[in-house]
Amino acid sequence: MSDDNRKNDSNEHGGLSRRGFLKGLAVAGGAAAIGGINGIPSVYASEPVVLRLLGTGVTHYKEIADQAKKDLGITIEFTTLNSDDAVKRAITQPTSYDLLDSEYFALKKIIPSGNLRGMDVKRIKHYEDIVSIFTSGKLNGKMVSSQGTAPFEVSYLDGEFGRKFSAKPTEWMTVVPTVYNADTLGIRPDLIHRPVTSWADLLSPDFKGKTAIIDVPSIGIMDAAMAIEAMGKMRYHDKGNMTRGEIDKTMEILTAAKKQGQFRAFWKDFNESVNLMASGEVVLQSMWSPAVSKVREMGIACKYQPLKEGYRGWGIGLGIPSHVKGKTLDAAYEFINWYLSGWAGAFLNRQGYYTAVPKTAKQFMSADEWGYWMDGKPAKSNILSPTGQKVDAPGSVRDGGSFDQRMGAVACWNTVMDEDRYLVRKWNDFVAA
Amino acid sequence: MSQPDLNNTMATPETRRRVSGPFWSVLSTPRIAPYLQVMPITAVFLVFFLIPVILVVVISFFDYQTYDILIPDFTLMNYQDVFSSSVTYETYWTTAKLSLIVWAVTLVLGFTLSYFLAFHVRSRSRQVVLLLLCTIPFWTSNEIRMISWIPLLGRDGVVNTVLQTMGIVKQPLEWLLYSKFAVVLGYVHLYTVFMIVPIFNSMMRIDKSLIEAAVDSGAKGWQVVLNIILPLSKSGLAIGSIFVISIVMGDFVTVNVLGGGQVASIGKVIVTDLSSLQFPPAAAESMVLLAFVIILIAALVKIVDIRKEL
Amino acid sequence: MAHGKRSPAFYWLAILFGLFVLFLYGPVIVIAVLSFQGPEGGLTFPMHGFSTHWFHQLFAGQSIGDISGAFGRSLKLGLVVMVITTIASFLAGLGFRSRFKGASAIFYIAIASLIVPSVVISLGIGAMFELLKIDRTWITSALGAQLTWTLPFGLLIMFAAFNRFNKSYEEAARGLGASSLRVIWEIVLPILAPSLLGVALFGFTLSYDELSRTSQAAGALNTLPLELQAMQTNATTPVIYALGTLTTLLSFTVIGLALALAIFLKRRRARHGSDAVKTA
Repeated sequence: MSDDNRKNDSNEHGGLSRRGFLKGLAVAGGAAAIGGINGIPSVYASEPVVLRLLGTGVTHYKEIADQAKKDLGITIEFTTLNSDDAVKRAITQPTSYDLLDSEYFALKKIIPSGNLRGMDVKRIKHYEDIVSIFTSGKLNGKMVSSQGTAPFEVSYLDGEFGRKFSAKPTEWMTVVPTVYNADTLGIRPDLIHRPVTSWADLLSPDFKGKTAIIDVPSIGIMDAAMAIEAMGKMRYHDKGNMTRGEIDKTMEILTAAKKQGQFRAFWKDFNESVNLMASGEVVLQSMWSPAVSKVREMGIACKYQPLKEGYRGWGIGLGIPSHVKGKTLDAAYEFINWYLSGWAGAFLNRQGYYTAVPKTAKQFMSADEWGYWMDGKPAKSNILSPTGQKVDAPGSVRDGGSFDQRMGAVACWNTVMDEDRYLVRKWNDFVAA
Repeated sequence: MSQPDLNNTMATPETRRRVSGPFWSVLSTPRIAPYLQVMPITAVFLVFFLIPVILVVVISFFDYQTYDILIPDFTLMNYQDVFSSSVTYETYWTTAKLSLIVWAVTLVLGFTLSYFLAFHVRSRSRQVVLLLLCTIPFWTSNEIRMISWIPLLGRDGVVNTVLQTMGIVKQPLEWLLYSKFAVVLGYVHLYTVFMIVPIFNSMMRIDKSLIEAAVDSGAKGWQVVLNIILPLSKSGLAIGSIFVISIVMGDFVTVNVLGGGQVASIGKVIVTDLSSLQFPPAAAESMVLLAFVIILIAALVKIVDIRKEL
Repeated sequence: MAHGKRSPAFYWLAILFGLFVLFLYGPVIVIAVLSFQGPEGGLTFPMHGFSTHWFHQLFAGQSIGDISGAFGRSLKLGLVVMVITTIASFLAGLGFRSRFKGASAIFYIAIASLIVPSVVISLGIGAMFELLKIDRTWITSALGAQLTWTLPFGLLIMFAAFNRFNKSYEEAARGLGASSLRVIWEIVLPILAPSLLGVALFGFTLSYDELSRTSQAAGALNTLPLELQAMQTNATTPVIYALGTLTTLLSFTVIGLALALAIFLKRRRARHGSDAVKTA
C-alpha cells in the first residue's frame, strides 16, 4: 500500500509565520528556533500527485478516491478520523494535510488560527452553480434561517489569508460544500404507537428511557432547545447563540429529564446512533438521513420523521490549508473542481446527503433516483445505496419530501456559540448530574 | 516449581566469548551500569512524555476565548475554574468511588486467580497457556469489543434473553447496560489482567520451600495464603493497584461507552473540553488529575515500597 | 507444589478461573456469533440469517476505511513496541536494583506517564512534531507515543519480577568467576523468562489496542484502532466482527502451533538426553 510512497512533493511546508495554536506553543516551548524553512521546491515533478485529505468517514468513500484517481490521476490519501480528532488535528497540525473536510461550524474556530487559506472563487469552475444557501444565504430567493452558524456566514474571508469572515461574498471562499443536510428525529414506528409530530417528543415521558441525544455540547443543546421551545417551556432569542441565562434554564430542564431517566444514552458518532436504533435500545433520537437508511437496510422499520418545528441543518466543506502551494495547490483546486463536476455529487446524493452543485450531479443520476432523492417523488423502482443495498421500495417517498421542502425548513444550524466556554462547563455539570 | 539448576546454567566456552569484550565490561561496571541501563527508558520519557507535558503545563496557564483558542498568558484562571466548580468535586467523588470499587474487585479477583495460577497449576507451560488464554480477547480491538456490549447486555441482548428464558426475570434488566454497574463490569473485564500479571510475577518469586516448611509444620491452606503468600506478594498487589487506579482514574472510553455518556468521570470532562477545542482548561484539569493520582500512589508506595526489595 | 493429590480448593479455584475466562470471552463470543450475520444484518441482535458474507467482505475491501492496511501497520507497530518495551524494561529493571541518583524521579515520571490522560499527551506529541517540522508517521511519532504507555507497564512488571529475586544464584555464579554480563545472560534471564514473556505480551497487546495516545501522533495513515474508530463516523457493518473473529481464530492457531512445537522440542530434548549438563 501507500505506506512508503507518501508523497514528498505535497509537503511543501508553507513559509507562513506560525499561527494560532502553534504560535502559542512556540511561546510555550520558548521554541524560537522555528526557522523559516520555506517551501521546499518539489523535485519530484514527474511523481504522481498525492493529496492528503483530512476528515471523517462521512465523506471518505474509497469509491470517490478511486474515481478521482481514474479521472484526474491524483491520488487521494484519506486521513480518516472521528470528528473530535479531525478538528484537533486541523487546528494543531496544519501541515499534516493538504485538504481538509471540515464542518461549517468548526470554521469559527479554525479560521482565526489562520490554518486555512481563502479559495479563489475564480478558480472554482462550478462556483456559480453552488447552492445559494452557501453563496447568498438564500434558497429560491428566500433567506434561510440564520439561527446558529448559517453556512453563508462563514463561507467567505476578507482576504486570501484573512482570519475574519466577510458578511458579504468576496472572491475568497473558506470551504466548498461537500455534503450538507437537514436533521430531524429518527423513530422506530414499530415500537412507537402514537404519531410523532414535534421535537417536544424528545422529552416526552411517553418515551422515558428510550430516547437519546447527541453528546456534543453545542449540538446536543440545540436538539434540546428545539424540544423545549416546542413544549412551550421557553422562547429563545437565537437557539444557535444562547445567552447564559438561556443556557442555564435549558440545562436545568435537561438535567431534570436526565435525572428522571429520560435518556437511554448519549451518542457521538454516526454508527452509535445506528446501533442504538437497530437494537431497539432507543426508539426516538435525532439522526442523520443515511443513518436512518442504514437501519432500514437491515429490514428494521425506521422513519426520518419530519416535524412541524423544522430541521437542524449542517454542512461540511473542503478547504485548503495555508501551507499548500505550487503544484499541490493546483491539484487541490483540480480535485475540488472535479468534486463539484457531478460524479461525487451523485454518489453522495444517493447516500441521502445533498451535494453542492445539484445541477452536475443530476447528469450522473437516473431520473428515478433524482425524483426520489431530490424532488420528493415516489420511487418507480428499487432505490439503491451507492454500494447496491436496497434503501427503499417502489412507490415509497423520501421522508420529508423534496430538497426544497427539507432544506427550506431548516430552523437552526449546527454551531459554536459565543458562550461556548460557559456552555461546555454547564454540559460537564449536566453529565455529572 | 523447580528451581533453576545451577549446573545447567553454567556457560559453555562459546557463550563466555560472546558476552565479554571492552564495551560490555564498561556496561557492567557497577557504578555506571545502572545509569546505562535506565538510559533507554529515560530517553523515551524525556522526548515523548516530558517535553509534551511541559507544553501542557504551560498551556494550562494560557487564556482562551471562544474563537481564539490559545492566548499566551499567565493566568491561574483555569485552575481557579477547576477548584471553584462544584462539579469538579462531584466528578472526583464519582470517579474515586468507581475506582475504589473496581480496585477492590480486581484486587481480590486478581489475587485469587494469580494464586490459582501460581500454586495450583503445576507446569510452567500450563501457566503460560492460561495466561495467554486471558490475553487473546484483548487482541480483538477494543473498538470492536465495545460495540459488542450492546448485543451482550442490551435490552434484547444475550444476558437478558437468557435470564428471561430461564424465568429469572420477567422484564429485561435495564441497568445491565448504560449504568454505573455496566461501567464497573467493563473495568473489571478490562483490568483484572493488569492485576494478575504483576501479582502472578511476584508470587513466582516466592521461595516454595517456605510454603513446604509451613505445610510440613501443620499450617492449613488458608493460613499459608494469609501468612506467607499474601505478605510476600505485597509488591505485586501494589503494582497491580497502581495500574488499575491510574487507568481507571483517567479513563474516558469505557465510562463513556458503558455509561451511555451519562456517567461522569474526570477523563470525560477533559475530553469534552478538548473536543470543544478548549485546551487550557483541559490542560489544567489534566495537571490536577496528575497531582491527585500521584499523591494517591505516593501514599501507596509509602506503605509498600515496591523497589525496596529489588 | 509437590503434592500429588488435588485439594478441594483447586476445584473451586478452577471453577472461578473458568467463569472468569467465560466473562472475558463474553464479548468475543457475541462477536463471533454476529460475524455470521446475513448480508442485511447489523452489529446488534436480531440475526438476519446466517452467512459468511462479512468474511468475504473483509477481504474484498471496504468503502470506508482500509482495514487490511491498518491491520498490517498495527501488527508491525505492535511487534516493534513489544521488542523495545521488553528490552528497555528489562534493562531498567536491572538498573533499578541498585540505588542510583534520579531513581525516584524516573520512577515517578513513569507513573505520571500512566496517569496523564492519553489524549493530552497525544496532542502534545503531535504539536511538538509540528513545531519541529517533522512529519508524523505511525512508525515514528506514534511509536514514541505508544512507548510512553507501554514502558511504565513493562517497568513495573519488571519490579514485580525482580522483587525478592534471589541474589544467591548470582552471587554463587560471581563467586565462580563469572562476569556480570554472563551472570545476567545465563542466570538472570532464564529465571526471568516468564516475566519477560509477560512484558512482551503486555507490550504487544497494549500497543495493538492503543487508541487515544496514537490519535494525534499517527500522521496520515491510521493504526487499526484509529481506523476502526474512524469507521464509526459512517455506517459500520459486521465486517469488523468478522475481523474480530478471524483475529481470535488466528491467535488460537498461532499459540496452538507454538505450543505443539514447544512440546515436540521438549520431548526430543528429553529423548536425546541433557547435553547441557555434560558440557557444564
